[in-house]
Amino acid sequence: MKRNTVVLGIVLVILAIFGWAGWANWEYRKQAAERLLANAGQGELVASAAGDPQSMSPLVGKPAPGFALEDLSGRKVSLSSYKGKAVLVNFWATWCGPCKLETPWLVELRNQYARQGFEVIGISTDDIDRTDPKAFGDTKKEIATFVQQMHMPYPVLIEGDSLSKPYGGLDSMPTSFYVDRNGTIVAEQMGITSKDDIEANIRKALNGAGAGGLRTAGVGQ
Amino acid sequence: MKSDGALRLAGFAALTGAMFLQPLHGQAPVFEKPSHSGEKTEAVQYLFPEQVTVPAGKASPVALHFRIAQGLHINSHAPKDEFLIATVFTIPESSGVRLEAADYPPGIDFVLPVEPKEKLNVYTGEFTIQARLTARPGDHLVEAKLRYQACDQNACMPPKTITVPIDVVGR
Repeated sequence: MKRNTVVLGIVLVILAIFGWAGWANWEYRKQAAERLLANAGQGELVASAAGDPQSMSPLVGKPAPGFALEDLSGRKVSLSSYKGKAVLVNFWATWCGPCKLETPWLVELRNQYARQGFEVIGISTDDIDRTDPKAFGDTKKEIATFVQQMHMPYPVLIEGDSLSKPYGGLDSMPTSFYVDRNGTIVAEQMGITSKDDIEANIRKALNGAGAGGLRTAGVGQ
Repeated sequence: MKSDGALRLAGFAALTGAMFLQPLHGQAPVFEKPSHSGEKTEAVQYLFPEQVTVPAGKASPVALHFRIAQGLHINSHAPKDEFLIATVFTIPESSGVRLEAADYPPGIDFVLPVEPKEKLNVYTGEFTIQARLTARPGDHLVEAKLRYQACDQNACMPPKTITVPIDVVGR
Protein backbone atom coordinates (compact mmCIF):
# COMPACT_ATOMS: atom_id res chain seq x y z
CA MET A 1 0.00 0.00 0.00
CA LYS A 2 2.79 2.31 1.01
CA ARG A 3 4.75 1.41 -2.13
CA ASN A 4 1.70 2.11 -4.29
CA THR A 5 1.31 5.51 -2.70
CA VAL A 6 4.95 6.33 -3.43
CA VAL A 7 4.61 5.18 -7.07
CA LEU A 8 1.38 7.14 -7.45
CA GLY A 9 3.11 10.19 -6.03
CA ILE A 10 5.97 9.82 -8.48
CA VAL A 11 3.51 9.42 -11.34
CA LEU A 12 1.71 12.59 -10.29
CA VAL A 13 4.99 14.50 -10.06
CA ILE A 14 6.04 13.23 -13.49
CA LEU A 15 2.69 14.18 -14.96
CA ALA A 16 2.91 17.63 -13.36
CA ILE A 17 6.38 18.14 -14.87
CA PHE A 18 5.17 17.02 -18.26
CA GLY A 19 2.11 19.20 -17.98
CA TRP A 20 4.34 22.17 -17.26
CA ALA A 21 6.65 21.19 -20.12
CA GLY A 22 3.72 20.99 -22.51
CA TRP A 23 2.47 24.40 -21.44
CA ALA A 24 5.97 25.92 -21.72
CA ASN A 25 6.39 24.37 -25.14
CA TRP A 26 3.07 25.82 -26.33
CA GLU A 27 4.00 29.27 -25.04
CA TYR A 28 7.39 29.07 -26.75
CA ARG A 29 5.87 28.10 -30.07
CA LYS A 30 3.16 30.74 -29.77
CA GLN A 31 5.70 33.49 -29.09
CA ALA A 32 7.95 32.32 -31.94
CA ALA A 33 4.96 32.38 -34.29
CA GLU A 34 4.02 35.88 -33.15
CA ARG A 35 7.59 37.06 -33.73
CA LEU A 36 7.58 35.62 -37.24
CA LEU A 37 4.22 37.17 -38.02
CA ALA A 38 5.39 40.53 -36.71
CA ASN A 39 8.52 40.37 -38.87
CA ALA A 40 6.53 39.31 -41.92
CA GLY A 41 4.14 42.16 -41.30
CA GLN A 42 6.72 44.84 -41.97
CA GLY A 43 6.58 44.36 -45.73
CA GLU A 44 9.63 46.51 -46.29
CA LEU A 45 11.16 46.68 -49.74
CA VAL A 46 14.47 47.66 -48.22
CA ALA A 47 15.53 46.32 -44.87
CA SER A 48 16.49 48.65 -42.10
CA ALA A 49 20.25 49.01 -42.06
CA ALA A 50 20.72 50.05 -38.47
CA GLY A 51 23.11 47.71 -36.76
CA ASP A 52 22.58 44.92 -39.23
CA PRO A 53 25.86 43.53 -40.52
CA GLN A 54 24.03 41.85 -43.39
CA SER A 55 23.16 45.24 -44.83
CA MET A 56 26.82 45.84 -45.73
CA SER A 57 26.57 46.38 -49.46
CA PRO A 58 28.66 43.94 -51.51
CA LEU A 59 29.38 46.74 -53.97
CA VAL A 60 30.79 49.16 -51.43
CA GLY A 61 34.57 49.31 -51.64
CA LYS A 62 34.57 47.97 -55.19
CA PRO A 63 34.97 49.81 -58.48
CA ALA A 64 31.66 51.12 -59.77
CA PRO A 65 30.50 49.00 -62.72
CA GLY A 66 31.08 50.98 -65.88
CA PHE A 67 28.30 51.99 -68.24
CA ALA A 68 27.56 54.06 -71.30
CA LEU A 69 23.91 54.91 -71.70
CA GLU A 70 22.00 57.41 -73.83
CA ASP A 71 20.72 60.63 -72.43
CA LEU A 72 17.40 62.11 -73.55
CA SER A 73 19.01 63.65 -76.64
CA GLY A 74 20.46 60.32 -77.71
CA ARG A 75 24.04 61.17 -76.70
CA LYS A 76 26.03 58.39 -75.02
CA VAL A 77 27.24 59.24 -71.53
CA SER A 78 29.72 57.00 -69.74
CA LEU A 79 30.65 56.82 -66.10
CA SER A 80 34.33 56.69 -67.04
CA SER A 81 34.10 60.21 -68.46
CA TYR A 82 33.59 61.44 -64.88
CA LYS A 83 36.85 60.02 -63.57
CA GLY A 84 38.42 62.42 -61.11
CA LYS A 85 35.00 63.57 -59.91
CA ALA A 86 32.88 62.30 -57.06
CA VAL A 87 29.66 60.99 -58.59
CA LEU A 88 26.24 60.14 -57.23
CA VAL A 89 24.69 57.53 -59.52
CA ASN A 90 20.98 57.86 -58.79
CA PHE A 91 18.58 55.25 -60.18
CA TRP A 92 15.04 56.59 -60.24
CA ALA A 93 11.76 56.38 -62.16
CA THR A 94 8.91 58.72 -63.01
CA TRP A 95 6.41 56.43 -61.23
CA CYS A 96 8.40 56.50 -57.99
CA GLY A 97 6.98 58.90 -55.40
CA PRO A 98 10.01 58.82 -53.07
CA CYS A 99 12.25 59.60 -56.07
CA LYS A 100 10.23 62.72 -56.71
CA LEU A 101 10.64 63.75 -53.08
CA GLU A 102 14.41 63.31 -52.97
CA THR A 103 15.16 64.87 -56.38
CA PRO A 104 15.00 68.51 -55.14
CA TRP A 105 17.55 67.56 -52.45
CA LEU A 106 19.83 66.05 -55.09
CA VAL A 107 19.53 69.17 -57.23
CA GLU A 108 20.31 71.40 -54.26
CA LEU A 109 23.27 69.31 -53.10
CA ARG A 110 24.60 68.94 -56.62
CA ASN A 111 24.63 72.72 -57.02
CA GLN A 112 26.19 73.12 -53.58
CA TYR A 113 29.07 70.68 -54.15
CA ALA A 114 29.61 70.99 -57.93
CA ARG A 115 32.56 73.33 -57.48
CA GLN A 116 34.33 70.74 -55.37
CA GLY A 117 34.15 68.26 -58.20
CA PHE A 118 30.82 66.56 -57.56
CA GLU A 119 28.24 65.48 -60.12
CA VAL A 120 24.98 63.56 -60.13
CA ILE A 121 24.11 61.12 -62.89
CA GLY A 122 20.40 60.36 -62.88
CA ILE A 123 19.48 57.06 -64.51
CA SER A 124 15.83 56.46 -65.29
CA THR A 125 14.60 52.89 -64.95
CA ASP A 126 11.33 53.61 -66.71
CA ASP A 127 10.54 50.75 -69.04
CA ILE A 128 11.82 51.56 -72.53
CA ASP A 129 10.52 49.62 -75.53
CA ARG A 130 12.64 50.39 -78.58
CA THR A 131 10.61 48.00 -80.73
CA ASP A 132 7.59 50.29 -80.43
CA PRO A 133 8.57 53.77 -81.70
CA LYS A 134 5.44 55.39 -80.29
CA ALA A 135 5.86 53.87 -76.83
CA PHE A 136 9.57 54.74 -76.94
CA GLY A 137 8.78 58.35 -77.79
CA ASP A 138 6.03 58.58 -75.17
CA THR A 139 8.26 57.25 -72.40
CA LYS A 140 11.11 59.58 -73.32
CA LYS A 141 8.67 62.46 -73.37
CA GLU A 142 7.38 61.54 -69.93
CA ILE A 143 10.92 61.34 -68.55
CA ALA A 144 11.75 64.69 -70.15
CA THR A 145 8.65 66.27 -68.59
CA PHE A 146 9.70 64.98 -65.18
CA VAL A 147 13.25 66.28 -65.66
CA GLN A 148 11.92 69.66 -66.72
CA GLN A 149 9.45 69.93 -63.86
CA MET A 150 12.08 68.98 -61.30
CA HIS A 151 14.69 71.34 -62.84
CA MET A 152 17.29 68.58 -62.91
CA PRO A 153 20.55 70.23 -64.08
CA TYR A 154 22.55 67.02 -64.30
CA PRO A 155 22.70 64.34 -67.01
CA VAL A 156 19.74 61.99 -67.06
CA LEU A 157 20.23 58.70 -68.84
CA ILE A 158 17.66 56.12 -69.90
CA GLU A 159 17.41 52.32 -69.88
CA GLY A 160 18.75 51.95 -66.36
CA ASP A 161 17.26 48.46 -66.22
CA SER A 162 20.17 47.29 -68.36
CA LEU A 163 22.41 47.94 -65.34
CA SER A 164 20.29 45.86 -63.01
CA LYS A 165 22.70 42.93 -62.84
CA PRO A 166 26.01 44.76 -62.30
CA TYR A 167 24.36 47.08 -59.77
CA GLY A 168 22.96 44.32 -57.60
CA GLY A 169 19.37 43.96 -58.79
CA LEU A 170 17.87 47.43 -58.56
CA ASP A 171 14.69 45.90 -57.17
CA SER A 172 13.35 49.11 -55.73
CA MET A 173 13.62 52.81 -56.39
CA PRO A 174 15.31 55.08 -55.55
CA THR A 175 18.70 53.41 -55.28
CA SER A 176 21.88 55.48 -55.22
CA PHE A 177 25.58 54.69 -55.37
CA TYR A 178 28.19 57.18 -54.23
CA VAL A 179 31.39 56.90 -56.24
CA ASP A 180 34.62 58.58 -55.18
CA ARG A 181 37.14 60.31 -57.44
CA ASN A 182 38.92 57.01 -58.08
CA GLY A 183 35.77 55.27 -59.27
CA THR A 184 35.20 53.29 -56.06
CA ILE A 185 31.74 52.96 -54.56
CA VAL A 186 31.93 54.35 -51.02
CA ALA A 187 28.24 54.11 -50.07
CA GLU A 188 24.95 52.72 -51.29
CA GLN A 189 21.52 54.04 -50.45
CA MET A 190 18.34 52.07 -51.02
CA GLY A 191 15.05 53.88 -50.64
CA ILE A 192 14.60 57.48 -49.66
CA THR A 193 16.65 58.70 -46.76
CA SER A 194 17.22 62.11 -45.20
CA LYS A 195 18.92 64.98 -46.96
CA ASP A 196 21.55 64.91 -44.21
CA ASP A 197 22.36 61.27 -45.00
CA ILE A 198 22.70 62.07 -48.68
CA GLU A 199 25.00 64.98 -47.92
CA ALA A 200 27.14 62.85 -45.61
CA ASN A 201 27.56 60.28 -48.39
CA ILE A 202 28.43 63.00 -50.88
CA ARG A 203 31.16 64.23 -48.55
CA LYS A 204 32.38 60.67 -48.18
CA ALA A 205 32.61 60.39 -51.97
CA LEU A 206 34.41 63.72 -52.23
CA ASN A 207 36.88 62.73 -49.54
CA GLY A 208 37.37 59.24 -50.96
CA ALA A 209 36.37 57.35 -47.82
CA GLY A 210 37.14 54.05 -49.52
CA ALA A 211 35.88 50.67 -48.42
CA GLY A 212 33.90 49.88 -45.31
CA GLY A 213 30.83 52.01 -45.87
CA LEU A 214 27.43 50.78 -44.90
CA ARG A 215 24.42 50.53 -47.11
CA THR A 216 21.85 52.98 -45.86
CA ALA A 217 18.21 52.19 -46.26
CA GLY A 218 14.93 53.79 -45.52
CA VAL A 219 14.33 56.88 -43.49
CA GLY A 220 17.53 57.28 -41.60
CA GLN A 221 16.44 60.08 -39.33
CA MET B 1 -0.20 -7.05 -8.97
CA LYS B 2 -1.25 -3.63 -7.86
CA SER B 3 2.40 -2.63 -7.74
CA ASP B 4 2.87 -3.82 -11.34
CA GLY B 5 -0.11 -1.73 -12.39
CA ALA B 6 1.35 1.34 -10.71
CA LEU B 7 4.69 0.76 -12.42
CA ARG B 8 2.97 0.40 -15.78
CA LEU B 9 1.16 3.64 -15.05
CA ALA B 10 4.46 5.33 -14.27
CA GLY B 11 5.95 4.01 -17.53
CA PHE B 12 2.96 5.22 -19.51
CA ALA B 13 3.23 8.63 -17.87
CA ALA B 14 6.92 8.82 -18.73
CA LEU B 15 6.27 7.95 -22.37
CA THR B 16 3.37 10.38 -22.66
CA GLY B 17 5.40 13.10 -21.04
CA ALA B 18 8.32 12.48 -23.38
CA MET B 19 5.98 13.24 -26.25
CA PHE B 20 5.23 16.62 -24.65
CA LEU B 21 8.85 17.35 -23.94
CA GLN B 22 10.25 16.43 -27.35
CA PRO B 23 8.91 19.41 -29.30
CA LEU B 24 10.33 21.93 -26.85
CA HIS B 25 13.60 21.99 -28.73
CA GLY B 26 13.12 19.67 -31.65
CA GLN B 27 10.10 21.05 -33.45
CA ALA B 28 9.74 24.16 -35.51
CA PRO B 29 7.42 26.95 -34.46
CA VAL B 30 3.77 26.84 -35.51
CA PHE B 31 4.39 29.12 -38.49
CA GLU B 32 7.44 28.44 -40.60
CA LYS B 33 9.19 31.41 -42.11
CA PRO B 34 8.81 31.20 -45.89
CA SER B 35 11.93 30.23 -47.77
CA HIS B 36 13.67 32.83 -49.88
CA SER B 37 14.79 30.59 -52.68
CA GLY B 38 14.41 33.35 -55.23
CA GLU B 39 10.63 33.29 -54.91
CA LYS B 40 9.21 36.79 -54.65
CA THR B 41 5.94 37.45 -52.90
CA GLU B 42 3.40 39.42 -54.88
CA ALA B 43 2.52 42.79 -53.43
CA VAL B 44 -1.11 42.23 -54.41
CA GLN B 45 -3.02 38.98 -54.17
CA TYR B 46 -6.39 38.23 -55.72
CA LEU B 47 -8.67 36.71 -53.11
CA PHE B 48 -12.07 35.81 -54.59
CA PRO B 49 -14.42 34.94 -56.25
CA GLU B 50 -12.86 32.10 -58.21
CA GLN B 51 -16.13 31.38 -59.99
CA VAL B 52 -19.23 33.46 -60.69
CA THR B 53 -22.45 32.62 -62.45
CA VAL B 54 -24.20 35.50 -64.19
CA PRO B 55 -27.19 35.77 -66.52
CA ALA B 56 -25.85 35.44 -70.08
CA GLY B 57 -25.93 38.64 -72.11
CA LYS B 58 -26.86 40.81 -69.15
CA ALA B 59 -24.50 43.14 -67.31
CA SER B 60 -24.15 41.82 -63.78
CA PRO B 61 -22.34 43.12 -60.72
CA VAL B 62 -19.35 41.13 -59.48
CA ALA B 63 -17.29 42.22 -56.47
CA LEU B 64 -13.59 41.38 -56.87
CA HIS B 65 -11.57 41.21 -53.67
CA PHE B 66 -7.84 41.83 -53.41
CA ARG B 67 -5.31 41.97 -50.61
CA ILE B 68 -2.14 44.10 -50.45
CA ALA B 69 0.81 42.73 -48.48
CA GLN B 70 1.25 44.29 -45.06
CA GLY B 71 3.49 47.33 -44.97
CA LEU B 72 2.93 48.07 -48.65
CA HIS B 73 0.52 50.35 -50.46
CA ILE B 74 -0.45 50.76 -54.09
CA ASN B 75 -1.68 53.86 -55.88
CA SER B 76 -5.45 54.15 -56.00
CA HIS B 77 -7.31 54.34 -59.31
CA ALA B 78 -7.00 58.12 -59.07
CA PRO B 79 -3.54 59.01 -57.74
CA LYS B 80 -2.94 62.69 -57.08
CA ASP B 81 0.27 62.92 -59.10
CA GLU B 82 0.29 62.72 -62.90
CA PHE B 83 3.40 60.54 -62.92
CA LEU B 84 2.08 57.90 -60.55
CA ILE B 85 0.60 54.75 -62.01
CA ALA B 86 -3.07 54.13 -61.28
CA THR B 87 -4.50 50.76 -60.31
CA VAL B 88 -6.48 49.47 -63.28
CA PHE B 89 -8.50 46.30 -63.78
CA THR B 90 -9.04 45.00 -67.31
CA ILE B 91 -10.44 41.96 -69.07
CA PRO B 92 -8.90 40.90 -72.38
CA GLU B 93 -11.08 41.06 -75.44
CA SER B 94 -12.19 37.75 -76.90
CA SER B 95 -12.42 36.20 -73.47
CA GLY B 96 -16.18 35.74 -73.80
CA VAL B 97 -16.74 38.24 -71.03
CA ARG B 98 -16.92 42.00 -71.37
CA LEU B 99 -16.08 44.47 -68.64
CA GLU B 100 -18.84 47.06 -68.85
CA ALA B 101 -17.63 49.14 -65.94
CA ALA B 102 -15.37 49.00 -62.93
CA ASP B 103 -16.03 51.05 -59.82
CA TYR B 104 -12.90 51.47 -57.75
CA PRO B 105 -12.93 52.24 -54.04
CA PRO B 106 -11.74 55.67 -52.99
CA GLY B 107 -8.14 55.64 -51.85
CA ILE B 108 -6.95 56.84 -48.48
CA ASP B 109 -4.60 59.73 -47.89
CA PHE B 110 -1.09 58.55 -47.15
CA VAL B 111 2.03 60.52 -46.34
CA LEU B 112 5.64 59.43 -46.48
CA PRO B 113 7.60 60.08 -43.28
CA VAL B 114 10.11 62.27 -45.13
CA GLU B 115 7.47 64.63 -46.51
CA PRO B 116 4.35 64.87 -44.38
CA LYS B 117 2.96 67.70 -46.52
CA GLU B 118 2.79 65.57 -49.66
CA LYS B 119 -0.34 63.41 -49.63
CA LEU B 120 -0.67 60.32 -51.76
CA ASN B 121 -3.93 58.55 -52.53
CA VAL B 122 -3.45 54.82 -52.02
CA TYR B 123 -4.98 51.47 -51.21
CA THR B 124 -3.74 49.42 -48.29
CA GLY B 125 -4.90 46.14 -46.79
CA GLU B 126 -7.89 44.69 -48.64
CA PHE B 127 -9.83 46.45 -51.35
CA THR B 128 -12.74 45.58 -53.60
CA ILE B 129 -13.41 46.52 -57.21
CA GLN B 130 -17.08 46.47 -58.18
CA ALA B 131 -17.12 45.21 -61.75
CA ARG B 132 -20.06 44.85 -64.13
CA LEU B 133 -19.57 41.90 -66.42
CA THR B 134 -21.51 40.71 -69.44
CA ALA B 135 -20.85 37.08 -70.31
CA ARG B 136 -21.74 35.09 -73.38
CA PRO B 137 -23.53 31.80 -72.68
CA GLY B 138 -21.11 29.14 -71.52
CA ASP B 139 -18.14 28.68 -69.24
CA HIS B 140 -15.34 31.21 -69.65
CA LEU B 141 -12.02 30.95 -67.86
CA VAL B 142 -11.13 34.63 -67.88
CA GLU B 143 -7.60 35.80 -67.25
CA ALA B 144 -8.33 39.34 -66.17
CA LYS B 145 -5.47 41.71 -65.36
CA LEU B 146 -4.75 44.08 -62.53
CA ARG B 147 -2.04 46.65 -63.10
CA TYR B 148 -0.64 48.38 -60.06
CA GLN B 149 2.49 49.93 -58.64
CA ALA B 150 3.47 49.20 -55.05
CA CYS B 151 5.65 51.02 -52.54
CA ASP B 152 6.48 50.91 -48.87
CA GLN B 153 7.34 54.00 -46.85
CA ASN B 154 10.78 54.41 -48.39
CA ALA B 155 10.94 52.83 -51.80
CA CYS B 156 8.87 51.65 -54.75
CA MET B 157 8.75 48.51 -56.85
CA PRO B 158 8.33 48.69 -60.62
CA PRO B 159 4.77 48.63 -61.97
CA LYS B 160 3.35 45.16 -62.29
CA THR B 161 0.42 43.43 -63.97
CA ILE B 162 -0.95 40.30 -62.33
CA THR B 163 -3.40 37.80 -63.74
CA VAL B 164 -6.79 37.58 -62.04
CA PRO B 165 -8.27 34.20 -62.92
CA ILE B 166 -12.07 34.08 -62.78
CA ASP B 167 -14.29 31.30 -64.03
CA VAL B 168 -17.33 33.16 -65.38
CA VAL B 169 -20.37 31.03 -66.18
CA GLY B 170 -23.01 32.70 -68.36
CA ARG B 171 -26.45 31.07 -68.11
